[in-house]
Parts: sequence; C-alpha cells; structure tokens
Amino acid sequence: MTTGTATAGDGGEARTVDRVLAEIAARKRWRLPHLIALAFAIGFLAWAAEGVSLRPGEVVSALPVIGEYFARMWPPKWQFAANVWQPAIETIYIALWGSVLSAAIGLPLGILAANNVVRSVVVRNAARAVLNLLRSISELIWAIFFVSAVGLGPFPGALALGVNYGGILGRLYAEAMENVDPGPIEALRATGASRMQVILFAILPQALPQFVTYNLYWFEVGVRSATVLGMVGAGGIGFELVTSIRLFEWRETGLILLIILGMVTAIDMTSTYIRGRIY
Amino acid sequence: MNTLAPSPTMSSTAALSRTTLSIQGLSKLYAGGTQALDNVSIDVREGEFLVILGPSGAGKSTLMRCLNRLVEPSAGKVIHNGEEISGPNKNLREIRHRFGMVFQQFNLVKRLSVLTNVLTGRLAYRSAWRSLFYNFSQEDKRIAIECLARVNMDHKTFQRADTLSGGEQQRVAIARALAQKPRIILADEPVASLDPKIARQVLGYLKQVSQELGITVLCNLHQVDYAREFAERIVGMSRGAVVFQGSAAELTDNIIQRIYYRDASADADRGDNRGRDDE
Amino acid sequence: MAATTNKSDAAGFARAVAVALEAESRHQRRQLVVAVVWAIPIVAILWFTGRQIGMNPIAIVSGLPYMWDFLTRMFPPEIEYVLLLVDATVETIKIAVWGTLIAILLSIPLTLLGARNTTPHIVVFHATRMFLNVLRSINELVFALIFVSAVGLGPFAGVLAIALHATGMLAKFCAEEAEGVDKGQIEALQATGASKMQVILFAVIPQVVPAFISYAIYRLDVSIRSATVLGLVGAGGLGFSLIQTMKLFKYHQTATCILVIFLLVLVSDWICAKLRERVI
Repeated sequence: MTTGTATAGDGGEARTVDRVLAEIAARKRWRLPHLIALAFAIGFLAWAAEGVSLRPGEVVSALPVIGEYFARMWPPKWQFAANVWQPAIETIYIALWGSVLSAAIGLPLGILAANNVVRSVVVRNAARAVLNLLRSISELIWAIFFVSAVGLGPFPGALALGVNYGGILGRLYAEAMENVDPGPIEALRATGASRMQVILFAILPQALPQFVTYNLYWFEVGVRSATVLGMVGAGGIGFELVTSIRLFEWRETGLILLIILGMVTAIDMTSTYIRGRIY
Repeated sequence: MNTLAPSPTMSSTAALSRTTLSIQGLSKLYAGGTQALDNVSIDVREGEFLVILGPSGAGKSTLMRCLNRLVEPSAGKVIHNGEEISGPNKNLREIRHRFGMVFQQFNLVKRLSVLTNVLTGRLAYRSAWRSLFYNFSQEDKRIAIECLARVNMDHKTFQRADTLSGGEQQRVAIARALAQKPRIILADEPVASLDPKIARQVLGYLKQVSQELGITVLCNLHQVDYAREFAERIVGMSRGAVVFQGSAAELTDNIIQRIYYRDASADADRGDNRGRDDE
Repeated sequence: MAATTNKSDAAGFARAVAVALEAESRHQRRQLVVAVVWAIPIVAILWFTGRQIGMNPIAIVSGLPYMWDFLTRMFPPEIEYVLLLVDATVETIKIAVWGTLIAILLSIPLTLLGARNTTPHIVVFHATRMFLNVLRSINELVFALIFVSAVGLGPFAGVLAIALHATGMLAKFCAEEAEGVDKGQIEALQATGASKMQVILFAVIPQVVPAFISYAIYRLDVSIRSATVLGLVGAGGLGFSLIQTMKLFKYHQTATCILVIFLLVLVSDWICAKLRERVI
C-alpha cells in the first residue's frame, strides 16, 4: 500500500500532536515588533484624527446636525425642475464629449506608452510622463485652467474631463495592451508580419473589448464628475447646486440631488448592460 | 483516551454487520425537468467501503447531496441508524455533521491555513459567536492535528491551502471530513482531478481511515479499475437508477456495459427521454 | 455543403472556394452597411451635443494665447512657498486616510448586507444596494458642500464627504465580489454542518478579503486625489491654498500648489500600487 502509516494511539503520534500544539501556541504569541507596529499605527491615526478635528464627541454631535440638513431637503421643490432640466442634460453632454476627447487623447498616448508596442524607452517614458501629468491633476483644476482660457461654460468642462480622463485611460489602455495573450503575437511574428501588422492584428483586437469597457466605466465616472464642474464655472448642473446651497434653498438642493441620482443610476444601468453584452 | 481509536474488527466483519444507512425509493426531479435520481434504494452496511460506480451524469453526486441534504430529494426516505433523516422539520446542521464530505475539487478554503481548514470540520460543534474571532478550543485543535496526522499532512499544518498540490489538498480535505467525527464519509469523485498514482494514494488513505476508525465510506467513482481495486461492495448507477449491486468479483464486463453504455433495447425503450438526464 | 461532399474532385473544390469567396464578399458588404447604420446616429448625436455645449475647435486655438498667458503668469513657481504648504499637504493626507478608514469600517457590514449570498433578507439586500447607490452617485464635493454648511469650514467636513462616497464605492464593489466567490468552498462548509454565519466567516470572507484590501488601497489613492480639491469648497487640504492663491492673483504660488498636488498624487499612486502588488 502506498499510504502512510500513522497508526493512532502509539507514542509517536501523541508526540506529534503535542509538538504541533506547542507550535500553534508559539505562533499566536504577540511579539515585540507586532506591538510596536500596532502602537505606531494607533499613534499615527490618533495624530491624524486630531489634525482633521475628528473627535468622538464632535462626531456624535455633528451627526444629528447633518441629518437635520438632509431633512430640510425634503420635500424637493418640484417646480424648480423647470430651471434645472437643461443644465442636467448639459451635464450628460459634457460627460459624453469628455469621454470622446479622453479616448482621442488617451489612445495615442497609451499606444506610445505600451512596452510591447513601442521599443524606445525614451518615447515610452515621455508618453508615461505626459499621462501622469494629465492624470494626477484633478479635473476641477483642469477646469479652472480651461475656463481661464476659453471662458465660462460647458466647453472647458468637456476639455477638462477629456484631458484628465485621457491621462487615466491612456495608462489603462497601455496596461491592457501589455497584458494581452502573447501567443498570437508570437504566431504573427512567425508568419513574418511587420511590427505595425502585429499591433493591428494581434495586440489591438485582443485589447479592444478592454478599451470599450474602460471607456464606458469612465463615462459613468465622468457623469458623476460633471455634476460638480459647474462649481468652477465649467457648465452642467453643479452651478445650480452650489447656488442653491449658498442661498440655503435646501428644497432646491434636494431636487437637484434627486435629479443627479436618477441620471447617474440610469447611465450606470445602461453602461452595465452594454458592458455585459461585450463579453 | 484517544477518541479516534481504531476498530480493526470492523472491516473484516463488514459483510456481516448491520445496515447503518437505508436509502429507500429516493428520487430527485430538478426544477429544469431533469430526473437525476429515479427510485434509488440502497442499504449501506456499517463500516463498509461502498463504491458507487457510474458515468458522469448518472446521478451519483445528487445521491450524495440528498443524503446530507445539500439537495432536497423529491421523494423517498433516508434512514440512519433507525432514524429517518429525510423529510421536513429536521435539524439540517445536525444531520450534515454526521456525514463528512470529500469533493472532486477539494473545496478547501484556499486562503486559510491547512489547520484552519481542518478546524472548519469542528464548526458544527461550536456556536457561531465563538467562531467570530476564528478561535477554536484546545480540544478542537488536538482533534484537527490528529486527523492531519492520519493522512500524513501534519508537517504542512501552517501552510496556506492553495500552496499544496492536488493530492495534498485532497488529503487535507479528508482530514477536514474526519475532524467532524462522522459515522459516514461521502466522497464525491474524490480522485477525478488527480493523476493515477496520486489517485491511488488518496483512495488508499480513505480506505485506511475507513478500516481504522470503522467509518462507513460511500465513494463515487467513474473509473472501473479503481472501483475493483478498492471497493468492498459496488453499486452501479446509470441514468439516475441503480442497475447493479454486488462485490467487485461480480462486476462482469457485461454489467459494465450496462452501467456505461446501456444496451440498445433499453435505449430504444427510453428513446423519448434521451438527453434530459445529462446534468 | 458542396465543399465537404465534392472535395475530392478538383472542379468541385474550385467551385467550393468560389462560393466561399462570394460569401465572404457578401459578408463584407453587409458589415459595411452595419457600420454605416451605426455611424450615422453616433455622428449625429456627437454633432448635436457638441453644438449644444459649444464644442469648438477654433475656440481652443483662439484660447491658446490665454492658456499661454495663464502658464507664463504661473512661471516660475514660487519654490519657497512649499514650506507653507507642508501643513496643507499633511492635512490632505490625514483627510484621505481617515475618510478611507471610516469607509472601510462602514463597508464591512454593508458588504455583507448588500451581497445576495450573505444578506439576512432580500429586502435588506435591496435597501442596502439602494443606499450604496445614493452614496456612489453623489460626488464627494457635493457632500463636502453640504457638510461645510452643516458642520462648518474645515477638514472634518472633508473627512465625512470622502468617507461617505468611498463607502458607496467600496461596499458595492466588495458585495459584488462576495457574490462571485467559489461555490464549492461554500458547499464544503455547509456539508460540515456549519451554520450560515460560520459559512460566511470561513468560506465567504476569506475569499473576499484580498479583493477588499486591494480595493481599499485603491480607494485610498483615489481619496488622496479627491482630497486635493476638497479645499475648493472649504473642506480643508491643498485645494484651499490653491483657490486662495488664485483669488489673490498669486499665480506663482498657485503653480507651487499644482506641483505639490502633482507630486503627492504621483507618490501616493506609486506607494499604493506597490502595496496592492504585495496583497495579490
């Protein structure tokens, strides 16, 4: 028989059990490094909490106040819908164009940044640096910049989304291309295909469904972002939102939040449906 | 006292010993219209190693899951030591913990250690609140280590389950089933995912614990040669029905034909039903 | 059909090839038609929406001098100003860390309530998912605006805003992850006679933990990025310095702010990516 021979009851097994039990106990014991790490983590968090005025007493007293503010938003001021439906639609347009621009900006940069497409390290790193710059600066800061350049309105908003999400998508595109199955690439090389042909027939077709998924997802995110671009004058429903809060018209705020909620949910559902059909 | 003390007399007297599990007219009709079990009656004797042989889709897995009630049978009775364990108003947890189960895909919780996996076999004996902190009693740990030693896996106690090979994982799974202190082990195609050498080793461990501890084993297999090698008794199943019961010696080529291919006349009889029983 | 039956004789083979070629060109024509049919509404929508929001390539070109002007006014960044930004930078990090930490704590129960296979009741499941959708839909800046009104200017409002939005994202992601766990491991635990709660503890949670940690780290990265702009609405952090310097026309200092934000995000991105690699 090939099986082992752990005959129960003999002294050997009893010793084994005790040895392992002792090892379990030893592993469970807290060691000094653990305690130091724990103390350090707690100390850091306490220090950070103090810095952001996060004290238990204040949190407890703040919660009812926040509840009260949300309660003031009810019932929403339905008549106000006449004033906000246009900015609401504008918000979606901004997100849509932001999405188109981000693909247009992200695709060339992403291709240049992918290590199985571009051989030159200099080019790749340059593309990556640009992507990092676009990505790291929030769309709101970009919006401030573009508003100063082309004036108030939805146009700078779309540009800001396009530039910021172009940076994010470019990196995702590059990663998607780098992670494609290398088998087909090798097969195409073996047929004598040129570099360009390999990219067109082996890399892009494999990465394309990923690209579409990323684009749809970032369109969803874009709609949520576009709802605040109005705060810096870059169009959309954000301007009405800020104004209603500044004027303490909480029932108007309530209506705007409801509209945002409906809009985002509808877009999420559509986009999830489309993404589900891609695969 | 060693609670897992061997009872070497069990296997030798298997043929003479009493019925422990009586399956009477068990049927299962799935919601999709698949008749997985069709009036199955089997008497299982105390301490025997019973192989249920049949092609995939014969209803072997469903039979096992009807015994420990992972699946609810549509009709029929299961009687364990004189007590009916089928039917409504039964304590499912209590019934399930009588049966240890071993799966084709091992079904270890991959990210937990070998020891914790075996300890999950003790859960039915513990309240949920005690398990909240992943804490087990010293007694449970002792049992778990003994069970690991039985399958010669005590040297891997602290490794994560997903670092083990397939054969090792299945041995840990056997230890988990043993930790339940079951009277019966249900092994559902325990070696279908293992190569032949390892498969024989794993079946050897199963048979060994069956003999040493007097545990009744029901083992689903689809390979005739393993059944011949390990079974004390064989039940042949085809299309949800029992078509053979007897010893390995009685398993003739003719009967194997009936289990695996069914004769032409039977096919013609059931022609209208064909295709509905492929699970 | 012809191809398979007559492959043996040469004429039949040639016929089969011709048929296949014909089919292929028909297929190509059909695809072209499909592409055009799809392209027309897409182009129309883009053209219409573009006009609505004043998309205008000429405006970009004519805006270039202004952008250039803006950039030259910012250049060179006032390096000494960095010293005054240290506090704001640290505050930004603190806001993000606490916001994410609160989100993690809130997400643990919400994940379990909001996953079909761990929720105590289907009504609880739907209610949780709806609540999470509300949190997800509303941008943290909107929350921040409301909280600034409620609890006053300062980082506290920012922490709450980040916490709420991140909770929505984290809990929903992990709930979906929990629904996708390996069923076999759950079945094995059920077979031992474990209770529903024990099955969740020993089969579901271990499978979700890596995704949870990985996503929580990702969320920390996103929260740092968000925290850099919370100051625009008065909820603390670097954004406040950014908007202040702009209002005072101190563009050299604005440039410093942007540089610091850029570096902060870059470093956090790098650290978070390294951390996530270690988890997976």
